[in-house]
Amino acid sequence: MTQVLAIMVLPLFLLAGIVAAAVLDRAVPPLVAGRSLKASFVGPITVASSRAMGQTGATEHPDTISWILAPILYFTLAAIGLSVVPFAPGVVAADLDAGIVLWGACESLTVVAVFLHGWSANSPLPLIGAYRYVAIGLPAMLLSMFVLIAAALPAQSLAVTDIVEAQRSVWNIVRQPAGFVLFLMLGLSLSLRGPFDFADPYDLAGGTTAEISGAARLTWWLARLAMLVSVSAMTATVFLGGYLGPVLPGFVWLVVKTGLVLVVLVGAGEVFARLPPDRMMNLIWLALLPLSFLMLVAVGVELLLWG
Amino acid sequence: MAIAILRRLAGAAPAPAFPAIGAGMRAAADDLFLDGRLIRADSIRHARILLVAGPVREADQDDIRRLHDQMLHPRATLWWKSNPVRDFAEPATCDEDDPVAAIEAIHRALIEGARDSEPDILPNEPPNPWRGKGDYGQGGEGMMGGTPYGRPMAMTDDDLRDGLALDAYTAPFGPFLPMLPPGLKLSVTLQGDVIQTAKLLRPPSAQAEAYDGTVTALRALGRFLPILGLEAHAVRCLEAARSLSAGKPIELAKIRQFLFWSGALAAIPSGIGMVEDTDVRMRVERWLAALDESPTGGLDGSATMSPLKPARLVDLLRGREWSEAILIVNSFDTDTLISLAPVEAEDAETEGRAREDGIRMDHEGHGTHAHGATGT
Repeated sequence: MTQVLAIMVLPLFLLAGIVAAAVLDRAVPPLVAGRSLKASFVGPITVASSRAMGQTGATEHPDTISWILAPILYFTLAAIGLSVVPFAPGVVAADLDAGIVLWGACESLTVVAVFLHGWSANSPLPLIGAYRYVAIGLPAMLLSMFVLIAAALPAQSLAVTDIVEAQRSVWNIVRQPAGFVLFLMLGLSLSLRGPFDFADPYDLAGGTTAEISGAARLTWWLARLAMLVSVSAMTATVFLGGYLGPVLPGFVWLVVKTGLVLVVLVGAGEVFARLPPDRMMNLIWLALLPLSFLMLVAVGVELLLWG
Repeated sequence: MAIAILRRLAGAAPAPAFPAIGAGMRAAADDLFLDGRLIRADSIRHARILLVAGPVREADQDDIRRLHDQMLHPRATLWWKSNPVRDFAEPATCDEDDPVAAIEAIHRALIEGARDSEPDILPNEPPNPWRGKGDYGQGGEGMMGGTPYGRPMAMTDDDLRDGLALDAYTAPFGPFLPMLPPGLKLSVTLQGDVIQTAKLLRPPSAQAEAYDGTVTALRALGRFLPILGLEAHAVRCLEAARSLSAGKPIELAKIRQFLFWSGALAAIPSGIGMVEDTDVRMRVERWLAALDESPTGGLDGSATMSPLKPARLVDLLRGREWSEAILIVNSFDTDTLISLAPVEAEDAETEGRAREDGIRMDHEGHGTHAHGATGT
């Protein structure tokens, strides 16, 4: 019964999250640019309507099926990833013993979805965006695996529900603060944002989106926002205790924490500079991956000594 | 009913316009898109209105036609302080300093169906039929390489950096790509995102932007920062430049502080785009230093705007990743960039080579609007 409830809540959670993310996307850049706050629900709806009314467009000999499927796959991965997040005690759409592994699979397949999106346009700049994303996405996913294993160690379980329950004494953000930051970076990478937007950046005229318009662009935009919501909920669950919190119902706590992470990710996407891909590769392989491994070792040692 | 609501909502959205910028209009176009009623489209595919700003060089006229046809329906063109080129039926023009109202009106009319979407100008067909190896210079080996249908096709070649054999692909980029200075057109051979060779097809359009110390630095930052993903910071810089030009006081220290914390300088690789012992990072540092100085005296204009005959832009780009190359190109002002592009020598070489491999004539000459938009 609770699983049915979770399955019903999931699309509503995703929809509300997408709306919130779209509003933040309109509100945060003007703030960073020193303009007045313009938070509006109508703004994103008008832009979405404008995109819905345009032609989808085509290039010469695109891989049409992949081009159509890529945003659907991306959106689906966001929804599947969210399915392992418990909304409240016992309320989870996919209460798997290896929920973290399912999330990891969604992360990895995101690389495939984004690559397909760039590849199938049969055009140089989208293809470069696709190449780049694979180059950066693969080590970023590796990094995430170390971070998630370190988060799962205290729970001695790969089930996301157990990871939340193991945070009753101390949240994982306290146990591995660097892991939290690394997971936020992964969130930027999964949702193609700011310093980790190597697929759809300005220097590639929109990268994998450079050749699309109309409904195709609208779908890709929604999929990106869905992934942002999904990774925000996962971050809140794995590092901020998920539904745990005093007084308020568990679901409210999850919403509040997810919203907080959403704000941080949207803000970070506007505030920090993006390194050229080669420098980013060096940073991930030579600094961030060893750091994530050290965090894993540190959590292991802590549990051995005081666990 | 639903369509009517959708139309009303879409009509209220900011108008997505793609600027094709001609001579002397770059700063005006930058200022124009600070207006919240417009969206500056990164790609022509994202635009509903093609905004041709300023006079278009004769050599760029075919690119304008192709750009127009790559825009999706419903679409329109507005010629802002520009003379419409041939083949555009019933062109809309605007000679006012602020064309926002005209753009908005066209956008709304397109959405409401009160204005017809503009038809194609070029025929939607390959520039020449498939003939295999032969007169059209397709070349290549087996199923790879050459320019079948006039389109360059990837061909295995050794990578510059490590000799690894990868697929090399040659395509023209510009003259209206948003991340390149207006008018600059290059023929680039890429392996992955690494530039193997670059040839100058056309230099940037002259902009005649007067050197103005801090304002110049702010404008340069406003064009450079989006490459690092700092679009909001870029807007802050461009707004500051506009305010300063109008004589309004601004907080330069705040801008510098924000940019410091963004990690913009650290993100730029050192040693790229080296000209006269100054690399990209140093040139950006000069802009930032100018924010600390008096409004007109901070930037050493002579150091960045003097003719640099010994260096060639195409040499600076060779072996660089795409994003590094874009950083290099945008670290120079237009005048310096023109001096780095020795047109006479390059033109002779390029025209000859283009005829030889069929790129220029075949890839650009005729109906190509179904092909990738990003090249223009």
